[in-house]
Amino acid sequence: MTLKPLPWSSYRLEGCTLTGALSVTTEVTDGVTIVHGPAGCSQHNASLIHATLLDHDTPHLLRILSSDLDESGVIFGGEGALAACIREASRGDPSVIFVLSTCVVQTIGDDVAGVCRRDWGLPVIPVPSAGFLGGGFQEGMRNALITLGERAGEGGRGGDQDRRITLVGEKNLEHDVDENYGEVSRLLALLKEKPCLRFIRGMEWTALSELSRGNLNILREPDLRAVGDLFATRFGIPYLESFPVGFSGSLRFIEETAGILGLDPTAALEEERGRQEEALAGFDDLRGERIRLSPSPVGTTEPFAAEVAASLGLRITDDGVPLPLPSPLPVGTAGLLRLLHHWRRVLHA
Amino acid sequence: MKQIALYGKGGIGKSTTAANLSAALAEMGMDVLQIGCDPKRDSTRMLMHGSWIPTVLDQVREGREASITPDQVVFRGFGRVRCVEAGGPDPGVGCAGRGIIATFQLLERLNSLSGDVIVYDVLGDVVCGGFAMPMREGYAQEVYLVTSGELMSLYAANNICRAIARLAGRVRGRCRLAGVIGNGAGQDGEEPLVRAFADRIHSRLVTFIPRDPVVQRAEINRMTVIEYAPDSTQAGVYRSLARSILENRDLVIPTPLSMDDLETLAMEFLPA
Repeated sequence: MTLKPLPWSSYRLEGCTLTGALSVTTEVTDGVTIVHGPAGCSQHNASLIHATLLDHDTPHLLRILSSDLDESGVIFGGEGALAACIREASRGDPSVIFVLSTCVVQTIGDDVAGVCRRDWGLPVIPVPSAGFLGGGFQEGMRNALITLGERAGEGGRGGDQDRRITLVGEKNLEHDVDENYGEVSRLLALLKEKPCLRFIRGMEWTALSELSRGNLNILREPDLRAVGDLFATRFGIPYLESFPVGFSGSLRFIEETAGILGLDPTAALEEERGRQEEALAGFDDLRGERIRLSPSPVGTTEPFAAEVAASLGLRITDDGVPLPLPSPLPVGTAGLLRLLHHWRRVLHA
Repeated sequence: MKQIALYGKGGIGKSTTAANLSAALAEMGMDVLQIGCDPKRDSTRMLMHGSWIPTVLDQVREGREASITPDQVVFRGFGRVRCVEAGGPDPGVGCAGRGIIATFQLLERLNSLSGDVIVYDVLGDVVCGGFAMPMREGYAQEVYLVTSGELMSLYAANNICRAIARLAGRVRGRCRLAGVIGNGAGQDGEEPLVRAFADRIHSRLVTFIPRDPVVQRAEINRMTVIEYAPDSTQAGVYRSLARSILENRDLVIPTPLSMDDLETLAMEFLPA
């Protein structure tokens, strides 16, 4: 039996704040991100992100500049190098410049916020990062979202129509990011709704103005509650704290969305239940199989695993066939079905 | 080659002591290199008759480190003492400790760390690893603590003992405490207190330099005491210090005191 590795586990426990923050700020299509620190920090992160995107068949040029801090900058302070880099970045006429800091910049105590506050003629926004000193990937991503969330309402005049649903904190480096978007869109379509804004994936700076006019924010995962709370406090926008996970989670997602938006979910729930039952019938050949699931390094997966096993008649035992459980867990009904197809290949290999 | 480092609280007189020590050693025919390891860059000024010499980090700041030559950073002062200043960033920015490390790397590349005696004059508080650089392997094996009888001066000296003890405990760590140099602040009972401190940390008082107005007069005239008042009693004290250091073989790993013990010690010698 072989276990074909799939790039499913895209939860990044390692990595520093830079990678997490870059995964957000580089998705502002008309912005530039400056990594204030040695060129190696930019190179390493840009290379990592580019390789990931290449693996996902979605490569694109990242708009990243390095302040190229050298030995002299470390000894005498790097604020001059940062200012020079901001000047260089602004020559390309971006709508916004984000400034991320590295470990060494935090260590020597550069006043990054002070440099950013100067009159540059465009928004220059420091994102709390500080390399590994600031935490890991998740902190960097969350900090970037919060920093941009605090600027919501800026960015010029947005569209006129009222925005309803915003997706918050999609994992731009996860393999299934667009499949997950598609699944959430499908579930919303059952309620005749759709995501109007992706905060932040392929977003222009001007769209930031529209963030204040949503009716519902849907967070990618509960770890982003602080971002949801920010919009709830500033603009009174309620939020769901996660994309749907599993069959029952998908149904609950429909119910909760409908509840917040004041819609009747009956027809949507009926349609989705029918789809799930039909899909499950296609996996009858797995009934009675003995399986063993490796625990996820992040979050609690037992309820998910128990539900899947029960719905398929699988038996979870210590001597069962080891099956992979991706991190994060698959999104929606479609994500779960993709997982079941993979399990079938393993069990029947 | 003998390499010694002078450490102590800021403003306690390290640079004055170092410059007069270097001058006295030079008088004895030694080839002496004095390296000021302090962003204030004033360690060698009296040897240079008041001149502020360009620092090693000035060259780095100008981006000239790749093409730098010894004559751009090493300058001859009184008694042909070779003088180097590390320099450093302006107050409040950058990392002075990293500057010291960069200076040492540059001087090594230039083969400038040579002579009969190298005197490292180091910023008072060992606030980070960079300022411990002179204590590391390959540099000064002998550390002298410069202190007065003031409590905060002794506190700083005691802290440096901690750094020495830590570095000495490392594999191949060769750094040792060579003794305590008392630099009088003019308070009563000062010499016995400094001597007792040296004993308690398991070292010894090498020399006690009494306070003398001739030191200030020499500095106003931009000279060391050795040059300005060669026949003075104070010049004799510095020459005695130089001889003691040259002959000193008594190197120890010190035992730092607790803060309570240090305060108790100071109380014992507090004038009634």
